[in-house]
Amino acid sequence: MSPSKPSTRLTVNGKVRDVDASPDTALLYVLRNDLELNGPKYGCGLGECGACTVIIDGVAARSCVIPIGGCENRDVLTLEGLGSREHPDPVQSAFIEEQAAQCGYCLNGMIMSIKALLLRNPQPSEVEIAEALKYNLCRCGAHVEIMRAAMRAAGRTLESLAQ
Amino acid sequence: MTPSSLGSGNKFSGSLSVVHPAGTVTSTGIFETFIKIAADGVITAFNGHVDLGTGIRTALAQIVADELDVSFARVVVVLGDTSSTPDQGPTIASETIQVTAVPLRKAAAQARQYLVQLAAKRLELPESKLTVDDGLIRTHDNRSLSYGELIGNDVIRLELADDVVVKTADSYRIVGQSVPRVDLPAKATGELVYVHDVRVPGMLHGRVVRPPYAGVDAGDFVGTSLIAIDESSVKDIPGLVAVVRIGDFVGVVAEREENAIKAAAQIKVTWKPTPTLPDLDDIQNALRTNPSTPRTLLDKGDVDSGIAAADKPMKRTYVWPYQMHASIGPSCAVADWQAGQVRVWSGTQNPHALRADLARLLSRPETEIDLIRMEAAGCYGRNCADDVTADAVLLSRAVGKPVRVQLTREQEHAWEPKGAAQLIDVDGGLRADGSVAAYDFATRYPSNAAPTLALLLTGMVSPTPAVLQMGDRTAIPPYDYDAMRVVAHDMPPIVRASWLRGVSALPNTFAHESYIDELATEAGVDPIEYRLRYLKDPRAIDLVKAVAERAEWTPRPVWTPPEPDGDVVHGRGFAYALYVHGPFPGKPAAWSAWVTDVAVDKSTGEVSVTRVVAGQDSGLMINPDGVRHQIHGNVIQSTSRALMEEVAFEPSSVASREWGAYPIVKFPDVPKIDVLMLPRADQPPMGVGESASVPSAAAIANAIFDAIGVRFREPPFTPEKIRAGLGRVAPAPTHILPVPPLPPTRTQKSPFAKPLGIVSGIAALCAAAIGLAAAVLPGRAIAPIARPDASTYSAATIARGAQLAALGDCAVCHTALNGITNAGGRPLETPFGTIYATNITPDLETGIGAWSYPAFERAMREGLHRDGRQLYPAFPYNHFAKTTDADLQALYAYLMAQAPIRAVNRETALPFPFNVRPLMAGWNALFHNNSEFTPDTTKSELWNRGAYLVEGLGHCGACHTPRNALGAEKDAKAYLAGGFAEGWEAPPLTSLSHAPIPWSESELFAYLRTGHSRFHGVAAGPMGPVVKELAALPDNDIKAMAHYLASFNIAVGHDQQQALAVQLETATLSLDYSAPQTGARIYEGACAVCHAVGGPQLFGSRPSLALNSNLHSATPDNLIQVILHGIDTPVSSDLGYMPAFKGSLNAEQVADLVIYLRRQFAPGKPAWNEVETAVRKVMLATPD
Repeated sequence: MSPSKPSTRLTVNGKVRDVDASPDTALLYVLRNDLELNGPKYGCGLGECGACTVIIDGVAARSCVIPIGGCENRDVLTLEGLGSREHPDPVQSAFIEEQAAQCGYCLNGMIMSIKALLLRNPQPSEVEIAEALKYNLCRCGAHVEIMRAAMRAAGRTLESLAQ
Repeated sequence: MTPSSLGSGNKFSGSLSVVHPAGTVTSTGIFETFIKIAADGVITAFNGHVDLGTGIRTALAQIVADELDVSFARVVVVLGDTSSTPDQGPTIASETIQVTAVPLRKAAAQARQYLVQLAAKRLELPESKLTVDDGLIRTHDNRSLSYGELIGNDVIRLELADDVVVKTADSYRIVGQSVPRVDLPAKATGELVYVHDVRVPGMLHGRVVRPPYAGVDAGDFVGTSLIAIDESSVKDIPGLVAVVRIGDFVGVVAEREENAIKAAAQIKVTWKPTPTLPDLDDIQNALRTNPSTPRTLLDKGDVDSGIAAADKPMKRTYVWPYQMHASIGPSCAVADWQAGQVRVWSGTQNPHALRADLARLLSRPETEIDLIRMEAAGCYGRNCADDVTADAVLLSRAVGKPVRVQLTREQEHAWEPKGAAQLIDVDGGLRADGSVAAYDFATRYPSNAAPTLALLLTGMVSPTPAVLQMGDRTAIPPYDYDAMRVVAHDMPPIVRASWLRGVSALPNTFAHESYIDELATEAGVDPIEYRLRYLKDPRAIDLVKAVAERAEWTPRPVWTPPEPDGDVVHGRGFAYALYVHGPFPGKPAAWSAWVTDVAVDKSTGEVSVTRVVAGQDSGLMINPDGVRHQIHGNVIQSTSRALMEEVAFEPSSVASREWGAYPIVKFPDVPKIDVLMLPRADQPPMGVGESASVPSAAAIANAIFDAIGVRFREPPFTPEKIRAGLGRVAPAPTHILPVPPLPPTRTQKSPFAKPLGIVSGIAALCAAAIGLAAAVLPGRAIAPIARPDASTYSAATIARGAQLAALGDCAVCHTALNGITNAGGRPLETPFGTIYATNITPDLETGIGAWSYPAFERAMREGLHRDGRQLYPAFPYNHFAKTTDADLQALYAYLMAQAPIRAVNRETALPFPFNVRPLMAGWNALFHNNSEFTPDTTKSELWNRGAYLVEGLGHCGACHTPRNALGAEKDAKAYLAGGFAEGWEAPPLTSLSHAPIPWSESELFAYLRTGHSRFHGVAAGPMGPVVKELAALPDNDIKAMAHYLASFNIAVGHDQQQALAVQLETATLSLDYSAPQTGARIYEGACAVCHAVGGPQLFGSRPSLALNSNLHSATPDNLIQVILHGIDTPVSSDLGYMPAFKGSLNAEQVADLVIYLRRQFAPGKPAWNEVETAVRKVMLATPD
């Protein structure tokens, strides 16, 4: 270990934050422990499940496998930066409207992945949404409501989905 | 909560509570409170159950608000906190609404009635003249009194009465309405605090280190297997606070979470070997031979005679696999152990029972433990939530500070109490008239309540497993057969197991509902009609008929093969269940029935559940949307269980430790679900948390039968099983193999060839002898000098030297891991032993500060130390000798201009004869050509520049040219033909390249410049730092290197490469089903997210495996290396990072994956041999 305490400069939700953590520390732990953000969740540490998803430079990113050293000079957006209860992002509103969660542990990843999808494809089809969420795991089985929420956020009609 | 009409601001301080005498003394006194109405307006409802994600917090608030006649928004629900909620047992068996809400509802009704009576008295009116509106009691003449005013400053405590009259269904206003969940807005915005998000001042981070018997909790080795902990193995971890050991319980505590993670991964713990488990690949035999005690649940009619007399005897066996709760969030807890009070924040399913466990673990009274129940990831039964709470308490006690413990994904997967395997035998048959002759049902379920792990690991409780009577859930079939016997063989667990959604009822129902389907088929009767003959419960009959109608069921009395749609056939199945839970004879929850449509691909064996009509009679539905969502969740989760879920085991532990080895259903595979909810508002509300799961597997199996005419009695219904059932040989892979156009191979003469020609093996052996002879000729020492004054060099010279140092990768070898640049100490593994790189900073004593330029030049050209010692050719002076004098001087200037670092060199100690350094003189005589680079006048200037960089300081051949037995680069044709370095293959750079798409100059340039080529992949392993260093060189030099290297390869244009890439990727898109799918499943769960062509866009590059050279190589080494160790230092962060799977997959799984990847993505290449051996070798070589 290097004797001097390194500092890494991050930009998270539009704010510049200097973090005293080793540059190889996964972004997830810094977001949660240093910046006290609850949105990104630890799910697997392997990038498999998507619970830790954030948006980096406009692209969905699995914060459990990206060290903070790789996040310098990038914009990191978390669920908190997307919106709040008072001022939710349309994607968050769609998820609340469709009651798209049970335990809600995967919800961060679902919302952030859909947000990232809409940033690059404002009108995805149902198939494109399902493919975009393919590697976001939900165990409670809230898939139907999540698909409805994503379709609503994409401004699509919900008729083709299960009632 | 803002006070309003309910009270009058904060004027009053009184309260009204409805209580019950507590079974045990709680920390707040001798009462358990159900409802508390504070005069200031806050209404709090207390329930001992917890919300596991099902929405009971919302439903309970609806019940209370309705009975109290207040608005929904006023009610705050407190769930599971041990200091304030009643002990109502664990949150299991879908009981909350059905059972534990009952006293709450009564308490609310009682409070309302008390307040109305009080108001009637004060207002001097009969109660019938009063109305209640949102906590305001009104008279017809517009007088009113609020609940708050009535309570005033009094502290009123009512004892809960049993005979309270509650509202009738027709007067509900809030119950029966779909109310949005109260928790979702906070969850969707990151504002909700899960147990994972609890932060306490001064909190430290803990991790546990579990024993090697992962997932096994019975046997005398449990708690007694730890031999030793080597604490020195973690002494370098910053902020490490403690290493804790109690029996087999091991934990580490650190100030920062990532350091706790590092410590847990790095700590050396020695364990005794653990005994092997029964063979769990053969569940039937394992369960049949597990000791058991038969318990007859029902014996009606003459079963034995019935069977003996059956015209068509039918004996069937059904085998259920081990499955997981597989919570998305690994369990987490925070504990704050103090002398007088222990506070714990837990996601437990059973707060009160856990508190008793913690009291036992700590030897402290329960009253000193305050357990605050926080929301957690959905658990569907008993996961590791209790275990981690106990872990946190032990670590907090050890350090005297609050500690948060987060289990890893691997620990949660391995240690969660599994949903047990189950074995069900049904004997019986048909009479000639098609009626059921007898039904003899025997079930085996190896599970118990899974004692909290820390109690076992610390030896506080005996590891002798309890035998519980839990295999009997829904063991009695819903059909009224004349002769019936039902026996539960109670047995202890084999591996750690406990209740999982549907408990034993789901497998028991799988048997009941598969068997009756078989009976119907044999009898030639439509399966629904056949069921109705034996179904007596009128609500069951109503439901079955309603679901059949909704699904437009057409009678199918005789099985006929359906019309195929290519290889795909469609089928439809039915199943019904009334989920009976709790100790036998148990209580029924909601009624459920499924009609399922499946599509079966007879060629591949893949089953898709395309649609489910799920009908349910839940009685009164408190929150219909909540019920609907529970049905959706049950349908999706149980479909996943039936189709794909099965825990894999190693000889003595659980092998499935991440989502590749235990896949669950993904979005594209979720069926369409049509929910039918029968309106039964006049009937008591029934639990809906599990019922809709129970018919699942049978409905799917019945539908598969309908499609292909084959019965499957052992879920999961994987493609392998379906193909085996069909007697199908797997289809041959349909890859179209692209063959790149190959012009005649061009070879370059090695610039290192010596006049004496190619060194054969024999000559190499002779070399040793020559070397020995030459041992008498050491070099002479060159006198030390004072450190040269760096200011004598121009900035431009130093800058040029810096570039050359980067080209030569000086710092790559001469810098230790996390060490100071060029201060040496890095161990270099060679076939001859470990060589330690030396300090090349200009420190006079320990570095090269005393080296004159002639000494430096001699080292670079001749491989001699300043003192005359021979240097080992791991230092590639054979390449460096090519460098021009001007460049060497610039390099010298740069090195001397560095800050001197005092760092004593570690002695390299190779075994004999390699420790005899003078031997190297002989080696040099044989293999070393010390002449400077001479341009080839027949080639372009660019080519010659590239050759100078590649052959000289760039020393590419040091890794990429194979070496002979004495470690010298082979000559001539072998030049750049591929070698090995640090356990990684350095692939051939010539036309011998394994890359499926030939390297072109532009792709070589892209790769050397960015570390990434679209047509080949990313730089990993030892190549990563090389490309990073090359960043110092100008584009022109990189272009020259690319130009030179391209001259060894077949010329290929970008369009041609692109066409090949498309061809390769398209050809490898479809799955190859010709071998076991274990590796394919791991790929899909662990790798596809970042590697599947056309997958979701994610941060970083998306290396296409079909194009990756490593998959096409002759050896699997690089693939194994990158899977095990990932890529944590890419050339640039733009390329993204790859996690290491070494701690998550075992050797067999990695081998399965590697074999699959080769077969799938390099289909034209022969399979690699001995892959698992190669994996184990790499694992052993890098033990951390």
